[in-house]
Amino acid sequence: MTVTINDFNVKEKMQWCPGCGNFGLIASLKGAMADLGLKQHETVVVSGIGCSSKLPHYVNTYGFESIHGRGLPVASAIKLANTDLNVVAVGGDGDGYGIGVQHFIHIMRRNYDLTYIVHNNQIYGLTTGQASPTSQLGMKTKTTPWGVVEEPFRPLTVAINGGATFVARGFVGDPGHLKELMKTAIAHKGFSFIDVFQPCVTFNKLNTYPWFQERVYKLEDSGHDSTSKSAALSKAMEGEKTDYKKVPIGVFYKTDKPTYESTLPQIKDTPLAKQKLEIDLSKAYEEME
Amino acid sequence: MLFSCKIGAQAGAGVMVTGRMMAKCFTRGGYNVVAYPEYPSLVRGGHNVVEVLASNEDIHSPTQKCDLVIALNRDAVFYHKDFVNKGGVILYDEELDISAFKLPSGIKAVPVPLMKLINQSGGIAKMKNTVALACAFALIDYPFEIFASVIEDEFRRKGDDIVKKNVEAAKAGYEHVKQNNGNFQHKLKAISNKRKMLISGNEAVALGAVAGGMKFYSAYPMTPASSILHYLFANERKFNIVVKQTEDEIAAMNYATGASFAGARSMTGTSGGGFALMVEALGMAALAEAPIVAALVQRVGPSTGMPTWTEQADLKFALNASQGEFLRVVIAPGDMEECFYQSAEAFNLAEKYQLPVIIISDKFLAETFFSCERFDEKKVKIDRGKIIEDLPILEPNTRYKRYALSKDGVSPRVFPGTPNGMHVGTSYTHDETGFSTESFIMRTKQVDKRASKIKGLLKDLPAPKLYGPKKADVTLICWGSHKLPALDSLKLLEDAGVKANVLHFSFLFPLNKEKVAKALSGSGKTVMLENNSTGQFAGVLKEYCDFEPDFLLLKYDGRQFFAEQIAEEVSKLSAKKFKGDKEIRISEKEDLEYYNPQRHGL
Repeated sequence: MTVTINDFNVKEKMQWCPGCGNFGLIASLKGAMADLGLKQHETVVVSGIGCSSKLPHYVNTYGFESIHGRGLPVASAIKLANTDLNVVAVGGDGDGYGIGVQHFIHIMRRNYDLTYIVHNNQIYGLTTGQASPTSQLGMKTKTTPWGVVEEPFRPLTVAINGGATFVARGFVGDPGHLKELMKTAIAHKGFSFIDVFQPCVTFNKLNTYPWFQERVYKLEDSGHDSTSKSAALSKAMEGEKTDYKKVPIGVFYKTDKPTYESTLPQIKDTPLAKQKLEIDLSKAYEEME
Repeated sequence: MLFSCKIGAQAGAGVMVTGRMMAKCFTRGGYNVVAYPEYPSLVRGGHNVVEVLASNEDIHSPTQKCDLVIALNRDAVFYHKDFVNKGGVILYDEELDISAFKLPSGIKAVPVPLMKLINQSGGIAKMKNTVALACAFALIDYPFEIFASVIEDEFRRKGDDIVKKNVEAAKAGYEHVKQNNGNFQHKLKAISNKRKMLISGNEAVALGAVAGGMKFYSAYPMTPASSILHYLFANERKFNIVVKQTEDEIAAMNYATGASFAGARSMTGTSGGGFALMVEALGMAALAEAPIVAALVQRVGPSTGMPTWTEQADLKFALNASQGEFLRVVIAPGDMEECFYQSAEAFNLAEKYQLPVIIISDKFLAETFFSCERFDEKKVKIDRGKIIEDLPILEPNTRYKRYALSKDGVSPRVFPGTPNGMHVGTSYTHDETGFSTESFIMRTKQVDKRASKIKGLLKDLPAPKLYGPKKADVTLICWGSHKLPALDSLKLLEDAGVKANVLHFSFLFPLNKEKVAKALSGSGKTVMLENNSTGQFAGVLKEYCDFEPDFLLLKYDGRQFFAEQIAEEVSKLSAKKFKGDKEIRISEKEDLEYYNPQRHGL
């Protein structure tokens, strides 16, 4: 039986602000899952805490909504425990680049076969409008009444340098493009990362839909070589370098490396969660004698 | 017969391995053995010591005094000379100038030319520890073949040449002492060739977990919990488990929870500081009803404290860790068998009741080695509780009621991969499908559902265990590791004319008031001993069982109680006809700090 996008819907109402970028993101995600033919019961969507982290509740797959910043370690272990599962982690910029940034840095070194999608709205939404690690310099928020003075966190350069094997950026204002990015990311063997521009219509009055629409362009239209790390790094900084006149979206960098799971002979034939639990320990005893 | 030997050297000189080798030799000779290490939180410098005890009777804990000191540096003579029994010997490297130290009367110092013996046998300086051990074995007339077999096992992976050279150097040391130093009061023969294990508390917990079906272990290194991680990593392919060193303890607990959600029996382990970082995720595991097991190996706190020393001061932390109210089980094994079987059982309890189980031990139990019969993993019956694999087809766009309200509080789990079982595990208050809710009624029902698991638990959890005579004048009450010195104090108390027994708690929480009252019903004067400064478990017993001991004996200097200290304090109480202060605080009398030998002029 083929899966349709409707299979991924749930009856419950999505509780986001009208016009929130999360609606576009979740539609692209469900579309990507349906297009790829992922089975609902073989897919787990994991999140941290925040507006965007409510997403697992609204996708009819298995889901786990963890605590603030901790979606990645939970997702990592779900994959390690059952490599047959498709694992997608989602979260916001505060969740992934602020409180949980250590997990982001370390998951890239490991190259688990899972996908991480960050709803990057450059503001804290659920806690009602504080500066986030990606808030633009000078932006006024509740916690930066005189403007942001900290350099913004650069998720793409961090990911390209940090060892991620698939690094992309999308924009919810172009859901078709975003869906294709997600499909490529989920199909990628290894750790795939998509930073998604997702305007917060309630608290971010600077980085709005029109703001992005005027600035974003597609890398695939510009002849970008996604196998080149240096080209990828240069494109990742283009927004800041051009004072946000030109902001690229698309696949920045892609490479192939063995996944972490593939280095573990003990789960080569059978996923951990399906192995028998009884064990003969006589060799272990003998070694202690 | 009890023989005790302390091997002392500078940190980094390999004395931990040497101590374990000696312990293995006595274990192979049929003795009951304890090997107890003490060391400061330093990689080089400072003083390290392992006390190895061998007895043909039961022995559970280290003693304050020993019969033989093997001094591989001057500091070892300084630190241990005043704790040698009459007739004892200090065996030391002749290159060390120990003339500045005044030895107590009745103690003999025996120099041995370690480097000369090594050179004669064609060895290298690294073999000093081996030769010193050989000298000690010659002094007590212990069979050389046993030592040779242990050398072979210890150095096999370094190649035949290293084995051969070590055996030859050992032989030179053994013969030197045989010819020159014959007269020592302790002679030990091999008494049995039946093989037994030599195992530490951490290793027994790790093995027990594996026997209990643990498939996933995630942790960040922290003394004194690290040897669980090391042992499991070394054997992960043999055991068919996945072990993950995570970026921090926050990740470790979140990994364990994720693996559990996906259907693998999972565990994490740490000490107090790391557990502090795990606390938020502990609450998440509890709310998502993802069964996890956490080993909390206590060391001296608060904060960084004294990383390599022991304490029982994290009990109330374990009981109260994380915001909100939720049920958890806390188990404190007291010996190697309990470390093994109770760790295995922890997974059954965690899965049967879908909650966190904390195994609380301490540096003393975790890092001390004991001789021990093989465990029997076939005695471990794995009970995974309610798990559903076949589910009816769901209405479109609806989900499985993973958190269905149920009488016993336990709702059947399904694992990702199971058709028609889709649901969300969440850290939010949720409805029966896991969907976030702020319904007052559902909130109350879900709290009550989880809390009602206590009824089954209270039936399942065993009562405290009584050791020694059924009726006694004094009942020593203890928990976790302190069963060990308490048991050893019984004989000393008997010699002093005090009839005592021990009531030991492993299952600390939740407590079944009736079972506890019954166990306490035959008690004499009760003396509760705790390795902390506030009597934490006494407080728990008061709160949940309305019981107060007659006396509270506390020690919190970084060392566990020695049997001698327990016997001394209880004898004093008996002599005073059990009158006097209810609270008794003791600490070591001699303040010999290993961290800073310079402070002692060394």
